[in-house]
Amino acid sequence: MTNQNISLVKVRNTLLVTMPADPDDVTVTTLQEEVLGAMEEYRPKGLVLDISAVETLDSFFARTITETSRMVTMMGGQTVIAGMRPSVAITATQLGLTMVGTFTALTVDRALDLLTHLHPRRRIR
Amino acid sequence: MANRSKLSGTAALEDIEGVASQAYLASIVECSDDAIYGKTLDGTILSWNRGAERIYGYSAAEMVGRPVSVLVPPNKPDEVPAILEKVKRGERVSHFETTRVRKDGEVIDLSLNVSPIRDASGQIIGASTTARDITEQKRMREALAERAKEILDVSTPVLQVWEGVVVAPFIGTLDTQRAQQFMERLLDKIVQTNSAVALLDVTGVPAIDTRTAQHLIETITSVRLLGAQAILTGVRPAIAQTLAHLGINLADVVTRSSLAAGLRVALDILNLKIITQEDQAKGAHSL
Repeated sequence: MTNQNISLVKVRNTLLVTMPADPDDVTVTTLQEEVLGAMEEYRPKGLVLDISAVETLDSFFARTITETSRMVTMMGGQTVIAGMRPSVAITATQLGLTMVGTFTALTVDRALDLLTHLHPRRRIR
Repeated sequence: MANRSKLSGTAALEDIEGVASQAYLASIVECSDDAIYGKTLDGTILSWNRGAERIYGYSAAEMVGRPVSVLVPPNKPDEVPAILEKVKRGERVSHFETTRVRKDGEVIDLSLNVSPIRDASGQIIGASTTARDITEQKRMREALAERAKEILDVSTPVLQVWEGVVVAPFIGTLDTQRAQQFMERLLDKIVQTNSAVALLDVTGVPAIDTRTAQHLIETITSVRLLGAQAILTGVRPAIAQTLAHLGINLADVVTRSSLAAGLRVALDILNLKIITQEDQAKGAHSL
């Protein structure tokens, strides 16, 4: 049975959430709840969603990510999706799950840089 | 000569020409390049032509009276019984590709045709096998596939042109297989080199159809999902026209007419600047 635990830590005024390898629907729903709870408690300037362990991305997960990202923005933060695997990116594209409007970064490191303005901001439409 | 339109079996020839025609047919079998051998319904070999001697390495004296299973590799114990079962039911086995073992132990690829032998009353009394050596054919087929794959590999290179920038020059047309391979290659390289920018150059693409355009858009989208910026370069007027006609909107894609121009954008994204050594020595500011 794969570990369905979501890890959530506050790093440099940012929320770092790490998703497990094969999140089921319950885990994905929990993600949104936990993020919103933490947003309220810590008021971070951003959310980094680390999906480097995720091997499959279904439409429910994709939709929840996009929704959560919008909610974070409404609460004054910015979301960056980090570490999407090539195979997942290809599948997501072919299924039309393009998650328009979300920032993406190759690694958690880059994501944190992006949020702390160390890299010039690239508006990815 | 025998009346060809009446040739419904060896019976017709025999009536007209007697024993001589039997010898004629026998020599056809003997002179064939293919292995032709007859066996009983339990697999015992009754006849073995010169082709069989050449292909399998066993002489007729060595094979007649022995079970055909002698030729079968140990990993296929059920093949011959299955074939004989079909033959007993009056069915034939056609173009069955399999392997057999020669006298010297070499394993060869063959295409087998096995048909029932009937006596005068129509009763099935044995099986006749024709085996064609396809080892060379198979080798060529595999070499061709290998070559095709090599061409595929060679024509979709992804190169790191600077720290953080990769370039993928498209050459020729992009069918689905190439597109898939290209996408995987590109994304893997981006992750491997930790690149922020990927330049997709289509200068070498003569024609762009809907499918190719779609693959391009998909590639650009997946690069973005990964966390890098994709820039399409080398868009010539002809391609721009085709894309416009196809109603494809590249508004949300960064494009430049040349690879050099695309590289400028890449450097800008990475907050880099190229200055002459003089300027650097003089401590000059920006351009």
